[in-house]
Amino acid sequence: MPARDAGAPGTRGAVRLVARAELRERGWSLLALGVVLGLVGGVVLGAVAVGERTATAYPRLVEAVHLDDARLIVPADRPALIEALPTLPGVADAWLTEAWVAQVGGPQVQFMSLAAGTASHPGLVTPVVVDGRAADPAAADEVVVSERVAEHGMGVGTVLPLRMLTLEDMARFAVGFTPHGPATTVRVVGVARMPAWGQALPDVLAGPAFARALAGTGIGHSAYVRLDPGPDAAARFDEAVAAFAAAQPSIVGEYLTPGVEHPRAPDPAVQAAERALLLGVGLFALVVGLGALQVVGLGLLRTAGTARAARSVESALGMTAAQSVAARVGAAVPAAAVAGLLGAGVVVAAGTLAPLGSQARFEPEPGFRPQWALALAGGAALAALFLLVTAAAAAFAWRRRALAVPEPAVPREGSLAAVVGGSLGRWPTLLLGSRLAQAGTRRGVPPLVTTLAATAAVAGIVATVTVGASLDRLVATPERWAGGADITIADSREPDVVALAEDPRVAILAITDTSYARLGSGGTLGIVSITARKGTPPVALVSGRLPTAADEVAVNPRLAAERGLSAGERIDTLATGGAPHPMTVVGVAVVPNENHGPLGQDLLATGDGLRAVSPERNFPLLTTHVYARPGAAAALAAELGGRLELAPPTVPDAIRNLGDLGRLPDVLAVVLAVVAGTGLAHSLLVGARRLAREMAVFSVLGATPGQVRITLGVLAASTAVPAVLLGVPAGLGVARLFWWQVASTIGVGGDIAVPVGPIALLIAAVPLGAALVAAVPARRVRTPAATSLAAL
Amino acid sequence: MTQQTESVAGTPAPGAPGPALVVRGLRKIYEAGTAPVRALRGVDLTVHAGEFVALMGPSGCGKSTLLHLLAGLDRPDEGTIALDGTRIEELGAQRLARLRRRSVGLVFQFFHLIEHMSALENVSLAALVAGAKPAEATARARDLLDQLGLLDKARELPAALSGGQRQRVAIARALANRPTLLLADEPTGALDSDGAAEVLDLFQRLHAQGQTILMVTHSREVAEGAQRLVRMRDGRILADGEPSGPVEVPAGLRVAR
Repeated sequence: MPARDAGAPGTRGAVRLVARAELRERGWSLLALGVVLGLVGGVVLGAVAVGERTATAYPRLVEAVHLDDARLIVPADRPALIEALPTLPGVADAWLTEAWVAQVGGPQVQFMSLAAGTASHPGLVTPVVVDGRAADPAAADEVVVSERVAEHGMGVGTVLPLRMLTLEDMARFAVGFTPHGPATTVRVVGVARMPAWGQALPDVLAGPAFARALAGTGIGHSAYVRLDPGPDAAARFDEAVAAFAAAQPSIVGEYLTPGVEHPRAPDPAVQAAERALLLGVGLFALVVGLGALQVVGLGLLRTAGTARAARSVESALGMTAAQSVAARVGAAVPAAAVAGLLGAGVVVAAGTLAPLGSQARFEPEPGFRPQWALALAGGAALAALFLLVTAAAAAFAWRRRALAVPEPAVPREGSLAAVVGGSLGRWPTLLLGSRLAQAGTRRGVPPLVTTLAATAAVAGIVATVTVGASLDRLVATPERWAGGADITIADSREPDVVALAEDPRVAILAITDTSYARLGSGGTLGIVSITARKGTPPVALVSGRLPTAADEVAVNPRLAAERGLSAGERIDTLATGGAPHPMTVVGVAVVPNENHGPLGQDLLATGDGLRAVSPERNFPLLTTHVYARPGAAAALAAELGGRLELAPPTVPDAIRNLGDLGRLPDVLAVVLAVVAGTGLAHSLLVGARRLAREMAVFSVLGATPGQVRITLGVLAASTAVPAVLLGVPAGLGVARLFWWQVASTIGVGGDIAVPVGPIALLIAAVPLGAALVAAVPARRVRTPAATSLAAL
Repeated sequence: MTQQTESVAGTPAPGAPGPALVVRGLRKIYEAGTAPVRALRGVDLTVHAGEFVALMGPSGCGKSTLLHLLAGLDRPDEGTIALDGTRIEELGAQRLARLRRRSVGLVFQFFHLIEHMSALENVSLAALVAGAKPAEATARARDLLDQLGLLDKARELPAALSGGQRQRVAIARALANRPTLLLADEPTGALDSDGAAEVLDLFQRLHAQGQTILMVTHSREVAEGAQRLVRMRDGRILADGEPSGPVEVPAGLRVAR
């Protein structure tokens, strides 16, 4: 009889026939597994979609608003620079607007900056309006404001009476003045979104009619520049601007940061939050995905196992293993289709979810944003994965058993295992449980995988809750980011400081002096000194000590990480006159940064140290920080606000971004716990079920139901205990590494807050949970042992 | 076959044989699918101490069911079982387990050794469950394996042993608690003829030393090696007597031999 071709019509018919029979027999089981894979796989793909939306929110917003490459404020007393700016080296395009500083009418002293161009520029700085509408180009009294300003109560509909400052008024900021510019009233008609607001891009933008109406009354110009694509365009432009600035000093030069802002440079605060979010989403997707794969894989393995007898018959009839597997794959096609459709549906539904955490503030297209390509590709991948796992499960379940005789289970005499085993002999339950656990680990991959997966899950949960606790502590402890003052007064004047020092409501009074230091190797570093005028102001010292001499500094954690600085190293700062004045690093500390920008000033020096390296200044930038006695802050602020400019109590962007993560770490930890707990329980149940014969034999030997339960408990503990012993330190290590990265990126201390309670709970819950799960198969003990043995 | 040898079980034959097992009116019905299966329909049986009884009958006649009820692995629907004077049919799971560890040894057709434990550990485990201290259990297991010619295989896993060797380990395990009654369910069913002969020879040696044995088999050849043959059919005792002699037929039954 000639051998039948595997692809012959008759053989294909046999495969189809078996597939149909398989579908009838196990169709519902396959469908249930397909639904599980579809839903959970969809959740994983949905997490990928949300992760993508989160990760791309910032760059998409950058493109949507045509973010400028460089920007600067040019004071009105530098007309040559503003005229020459469009033709400076490196400039491809520029939009020049007029800039104003205005005092806002009202009981509190408050100033704000505005900008408006006489014509709009569609290719540069076009903020996305997220509430209300854009300012009417023909209306001189309409403005849009940044979301940051809107959050402080200046949303759509707010009317702002303004009195403009002249350049001369601004130059007298430190000594007091009355605004001499024109008065006007504007109305907020929209709230706009931009990746970066700052000095050169005021939080209030008006339209061309406003610019024309108040033309020539501003303190200067805000210029937004598109640079040439060449690699050195930024450097050439900066150099040209610096040359103009050096040649033409301004009377407000001390109030405006010298140099050019580059808003496209990566924002460490955004990066840190984004990294935390993406890591969380990635971890979530990984754990949920592995959990689903384990459940579906074991389910398909069990389904294939029940078809082993059928496979024997098919084999006897001449069907090859490949043909039998193909029949199972054929039977799984409807379930695979369901998995694919469900998965794709979940991905589309995930389009309703906004970017996570702080990144939602950068989404240029709020609302439904489905990812059709991911839905289609992901759905197809899920369907293919289901078929692939079906085939692999069938092949694995039907594989020929290895004939090799395993190594004896008995440990060598004198070995640790033998000693332990000997002592366990006193309790047959422990002896049997430990032997089964040993054998299970040695025998095959699944028990080892279960232990490793449980260890990874415990590590993930510990890492997540530890990062969450560190995050909570950072946000709730302003001292850690050099905040915490109840009242901050811009431009301190000595009479006010003296009065405050004598005020019994003031507990601590500190004056910060902010400047910058030039480096011998080029560039500048921000520098600050803190002078205590009453009490001892808190300083977040991360390591080392605070400077006590004019040639000592403490550095910001971010700077320390970027430049690898540690105590004892020297920074090549230049003295005011330009001579070398190296300063020695004596510690790492977080100190206030009065300028907009990254959290914490670069260097903390003594007053003498700061004066030694900062440029000549007519009006030092002095800020008063008031720490009031309990209950006195509100009244004191109300009293001071009527005559002094108080800086609004704001949380730095870096902290706000991290704070926006909210309960995400806790949610992630809960999801991890649920998924990992379900996976572990499933594995333990399946593992215990495989040992039903051994347990029945144990019962036949006279073991009581309680002894059988203890044996199963020992088995469960053999998985759970190593997971805890290894997972907890591993999780703390991961948390420490990750938190150090986040903290050094934004510039705060990198020590973690260990949540002792939740970790202790986890340490207790994992073995206890495993023991409880073991109690489920132990209920089979109630089944007569004869029935158990007969069923095997 | 009755030659006296050194005690294997270590249990001296009782001086005055009495009933080790008394079964009266035993009935058992299984719910299999939609139709109930009447596995036992009123079984009466007495086994005296030191007897070697073969229980024979076709598949499905209730032999194994009876054996499992006698071992306390399952519960009868009706009837009484007195093992060594103790009524077991109403005992709870705990007390049944204690009775098994004290009085019963079980040997299965497919050995049912714990695959992940060595031969020595399989035997020791039974002794430990019975209450022996670790050193005593190990000594007992070594002694039994030695007497069964398996001491050199003590550290081997069951997978490394032949079928006959595995069944001898299973017998050693069943003897580890010095049982009053050794129950064997088709102990030669999974063995070749050499292995079957080996096991039967061992049972006869144990019987010679006074061990009470009740062995289920459907092999006439094996059954003839026993001292007494009980035939079953359709859940009832059909005949009871010496394997090669005349059989005693319970009243109301017609026997075709």
